[in-house]
Amino acid sequence: MPDSRNPMKDRVAIAGASTTGFIAKNLERSQTSLAAEACVDVIRKSGIDRSEIDGICGSYPTAAVMQSTLGIPELTWSGNPFIPLVDHIATAAAAIHAGLCNVVLVYHAAYRVSWNTGSALKDPFRRISTPGLSDPHPGPETMASSAGYTGWASRYMHEYGVSREDFGLVAMNSRRNAAQNPGAALREPMTMDDYLAARMIRWPLCLLDMDVAVDGADAFILTTADRARDLPLPPVLINAAVLGQDRHNEEDQTVSLRQHGQQVVIETLKAKGDFWLDDIDLYYPYDGFTPITLNWIENAGWCEPGMGGKFLREHWDDASSRVLINGRIPMNTHGGSLSEGGTQGSGHIREAVHQLQGLAGDRQVAGARRALLTIGGFFFNAQGLMLHTG
Amino acid sequence: MTDEISNEALVQRFPGEPITHDNAAHYRGRLRRQLLVNRCDSCGAWHAPAKPICPDCWSSRVTPTSVSGNGTIFMAIFLHQGPPAEGVDYSTPYPVVTVELQEQAGLRITSTVVGASNADITIGAPVRLEWQERAGSPMPVFALRSAANA
Ligand SMILES: [Zn+2]
Repeated sequence: MPDSRNPMKDRVAIAGASTTGFIAKNLERSQTSLAAEACVDVIRKSGIDRSEIDGICGSYPTAAVMQSTLGIPELTWSGNPFIPLVDHIATAAAAIHAGLCNVVLVYHAAYRVSWNTGSALKDPFRRISTPGLSDPHPGPETMASSAGYTGWASRYMHEYGVSREDFGLVAMNSRRNAAQNPGAALREPMTMDDYLAARMIRWPLCLLDMDVAVDGADAFILTTADRARDLPLPPVLINAAVLGQDRHNEEDQTVSLRQHGQQVVIETLKAKGDFWLDDIDLYYPYDGFTPITLNWIENAGWCEPGMGGKFLREHWDDASSRVLINGRIPMNTHGGSLSEGGTQGSGHIREAVHQLQGLAGDRQVAGARRALLTIGGFFFNAQGLMLHTG
Repeated sequence: MTDEISNEALVQRFPGEPITHDNAAHYRGRLRRQLLVNRCDSCGAWHAPAKPICPDCWSSRVTPTSVSGNGTIFMAIFLHQGPPAEGVDYSTPYPVVTVELQEQAGLRITSTVVGASNADITIGAPVRLEWQERAGSPMPVFALRSAANA
């Protein structure tokens, strides 16, 4: 049962966010180098001295490597959570709220790994740094991980009698938004015909249904709301955060399209948070695989189950060739993981922060004050975050 | 059973498979062409993949038990590319299916379908268990079950 207790509500703020931008090719750089670039930028823009940072939170490289790379004198807390990135934000915010530390640097480097792309496989340094490269593959007959999203995509089409075009709308929206984002990996226009002609990977999902492997990094500064109010950038308050899991988290044992981690996230956000769909200006549903996005739209309550594609068509803005819910709420303004790059959710969070701070450049949504983020997949890593400007 | 192979030899027979103390019996069953799924002795619930206790009642009396192998296709995907595997040729998209077993609602295992054209491998189609060899060891697979051979 969702718990409405939320003592951390609006007590912790994201004081700044920075990015290197993302590129779908093999930069001759390490993850540490990419993360360091984003970290130095966010520390400078947030107006803090590095000696104020007493907490570090990221997955790779380790907090110890990041601390020594950045010359941060002392830490009282560090965390190395698993992806996606609400893990990092929620963990860091909890540590600040509990008094384990006051200012946390959160970082995430997206990195083309050797088992994912041929160009990365040719780079000997990447081969060394890619975990599990020499492990034997479990074989083709699995629904684990990304194959599971494909399996549930087949189930979605079967249960609701819809076609692949519904998935294609998600990809088209992301690509159109990426056109306004100079840091996005894929920015060229994409039509439904392009989508339907794309190389099939695992039917029913094609290349354009999957996030693009990229090099790049994001970084964030989190601190108390009080401290953030003294800093140069407008503070973005964390109203609610949740990491949702359902008991059945093996992809082929997941009970149904209507019982997985996303439902846990939605019910918890509604119980803990102060605003909901009618009050938001920005919506960020995860799009690592297109069926995840349709599920998020439906489970959040924008429309009935199976109607995600119909909803996108009804809220398609022909003038801008993208989704504008109720004529005003854009979806994944940065281009999402499908077109900005597969950032495991950090891109969605960084973009929401930039929009709420008025720093989103050509794609700025005027007067944006509240953002709903439903990040992660649905088997074992569904996550939600509600951010606002207070 | 005393005639069963050692843990060391079992791992050798299934290179790359994530064999643990919790699921070793399942793999030993495969060598006898017997599909074993854990069932709780206390409450009777089936569980896949293998877990060391019953997630429903927490009994540690879980017994690897033969299933009929009959079920229906719950999810079906077709790999246009994938990891190299003996006998798998992606020039015809390779089917991977999750089958809901008749023993219990929601009890599913994932494998492939043999001896059928891809057009006939559809969600809802009834299937039965078959065995084929993969790298010298038996692998559970499925065949479409028609009224004639059910
Ligand atoms: Zn039991």
